Amino acid sequence: METPDLNDYRAHLLDALDDQPRRAGEERPEFLQVLVNHERVGTLNCAHTDPSFSYTARERSIQHLEIRSESGVLVGGCVAPEAGQKSVRVPVGRGSVAIQVQNHFDGGSLKLQYAAAPGWWSHLASSIGLAASATAAPTASRTPVWTMTTAFAQIVLAVGVVALLAERIPTWLNAEDRAHQLEEELAARQSTQEQIDRVHQQLAQLVEAQASAVAVSRSEQDRIAQLNALVDTVAHAQQKLNTQVVSVQEDLKTVKTDVAQEVETGLRVAVNAVEADRDLVRQDLKSIKSVNETLIKQVALLESRNRELHARLALTSLEVAKANAAPKPTVVAKGDLPKEAPMATPVADGIREADRQAFMFWVAFQDGTTEKSIEDLVQELNGIKKGPMKSGWYSVEVNLPNPEPPDRFLESVKRAKIVKSVVTSKAMPPAQ
Amino acid sequence: MSTKLPDGKTMRDGQIFSARLNNVVTTEREFDELVVKSLPELLDRATGQTKRFLRETNQWGDDITHEKLALRWGYELVERFVVFGRTEVPCRPFFLLDSLIAKSFSQPDPLCYHKELLTPVGRFLDGLASRAVVSRDALIALFYHFYGFSQAHVVKLLGFGQAESQRVYKNFERWRQTGWQRTMNETGLSGSEIEVLEQELRTRPDHLNHEVDRLMPVLQSHYRKSEPEHYPCLSEQKWGQLFHDDYGHDYRVWHLAFCRDCFLEVADRRQAEVSSGLKPQVNLHIHPLKKGGVLALFGGDRGGRHHGNTRSQRLSRTSA
Repeated sequence: METPDLNDYRAHLLDALDDQPRRAGEERPEFLQVLVNHERVGTLNCAHTDPSFSYTARERSIQHLEIRSESGVLVGGCVAPEAGQKSVRVPVGRGSVAIQVQNHFDGGSLKLQYAAAPGWWSHLASSIGLAASATAAPTASRTPVWTMTTAFAQIVLAVGVVALLAERIPTWLNAEDRAHQLEEELAARQSTQEQIDRVHQQLAQLVEAQASAVAVSRSEQDRIAQLNALVDTVAHAQQKLNTQVVSVQEDLKTVKTDVAQEVETGLRVAVNAVEADRDLVRQDLKSIKSVNETLIKQVALLESRNRELHARLALTSLEVAKANAAPKPTVVAKGDLPKEAPMATPVADGIREADRQAFMFWVAFQDGTTEKSIEDLVQELNGIKKGPMKSGWYSVEVNLPNPEPPDRFLESVKRAKIVKSVVTSKAMPPAQ
Repeated sequence: MSTKLPDGKTMRDGQIFSARLNNVVTTEREFDELVVKSLPELLDRATGQTKRFLRETNQWGDDITHEKLALRWGYELVERFVVFGRTEVPCRPFFLLDSLIAKSFSQPDPLCYHKELLTPVGRFLDGLASRAVVSRDALIALFYHFYGFSQAHVVKLLGFGQAESQRVYKNFERWRQTGWQRTMNETGLSGSEIEVLEQELRTRPDHLNHEVDRLMPVLQSHYRKSEPEHYPCLSEQKWGQLFHDDYGHDYRVWHLAFCRDCFLEVADRRQAEVSSGLKPQVNLHIHPLKKGGVLALFGGDRGGRHHGNTRSQRLSRTSA
């Protein structure tokens, strides 16, 4: 990379930047170019009687404003916010340009007003004009006196100018020093003027702030008065509320006593009704118990009769069997015998079935006996569990062969290790 | 020169100014003094930010042309900062510069970047157009540099009278003496590069003019800055109306200098007035017009109208 060339270029640009204020100061404002957002939008003719320029932008707000001389030297400008306004005064040559930008988001307007710096002669003219205007009224009526006064004033002015020249001529020899001093004085005066302007601005801001503070304190006082009135109304409302609360409490007390009495009478009625119902239930239970006992007795009687009937049936069947077993008359053909033989077996089976009797008993098992061992025992006895366990008792039904008495069977059951107790009450499981 | 710090270390001038540029400046005078002393740092900062922008938009190349381009744009940003900053006091100078740069780069097409504009002829055209946006001298000179039109031709083409001609050309001497050279310097074109261009123009003028003709639309569409509401291209009929009714003088200068198509159309239409005898075309000139070439011939036609009393002002030599 050609670094020396680049360095030279950079140095040149720095020189140009350094020189920019001087070039801007040397420019004589005649036609100033106005560029908005880097686009040239017109010129401001400073030599015109009304040196002003207006511009309205649509679509985009005025963000960059540049004021350039015809040769392109940037002599002033500013940046403005996208929305809102900005007013600045920038020095251009010996005069200044007042810039006013009013922006909104989709456009903006710009106004420039050039003001040339007043020359020394205008100061002099204005001061003379002021003196003349002050003396204008009396001179209008007395023309000779005015003429004499004017002549006298001219003489005085001439003498004054001569004296001034006599005083200043030697100092003009050191014109450069004076020029420097003048420049310094001007700079000092300008800075003092700026400070005074700033103080004025601060004072104006202070006055505005004070006025706003007074307005705020007044509004606060009004608010406090409103608050006091509000507090009074609230206090009145609270008193009313208190009296209402007391009356409501009294009402509540009376209501409470009434309710308690009503509840008591209701309770009494309900208790009486419940007791009457309970008596009725007891009576019903007693009657049911007596009916139950008679039923048990009838059942026991029926069972004993049934057993007797079974026994008779068994005897009858035995006798029938014996009678059949006796030799038959020879009238019977030999060929019929094989047909008769198979008929004997179902009869014998029917006898065996008839010999069995259903027997129900209740058994309680040792603690910790498993369901499986209980099932095994029941299977071993060829019995069936009837219904679920009640209070530790299982009801079991077995078909006992007729010759075996139930007592012996129960004894054999009791001998089993897991059996705790065995009973034969058939009405209901025995209470523990 | 160095300054002692409380912890015993020394601080160089640049570091002092960097620190001060981060602090609040309360008066315009303080701002001016600080800026004058900190110009190298401000330029480096603006150049750095420009480089970053070019890198982020994939427009950066690691060569001296790009370095010069970034320096030039950084310079333009700092120039605006120096002038605008005075109206923003109190401020922190570095923050203000950053915000100005960010605001500039956030605009649509903030920089005229085109790879083919990085050649010597491209940079020459770019520098001229960039300057013409802000300088009336350079703007008028474009007619000569691009098409070889002298003052007489330009005045005829634009339909100006004596008053307008004098106003437009009164500072042309300034362009010839300092403006052109300053533009070349600020564009970063060295003397040797300009010589090479001159040489090429002598040996292969058609090739170079063809190149200029090709690059002009790219360049002008950026620098014309003709928002539709401000400087749109007009139809042939409207151009005719504009000249016939004798209005829009500013418009003629600005738009025709920055729009090749409209220029050729108007030049063709007003060929009789221009009386050059040749069909107008791109005709590059590197150096500004010599002093003897600025001879204005004022005809009787001014903006399409005939004024009987203009004959007395037919020959006039401007101050340029």
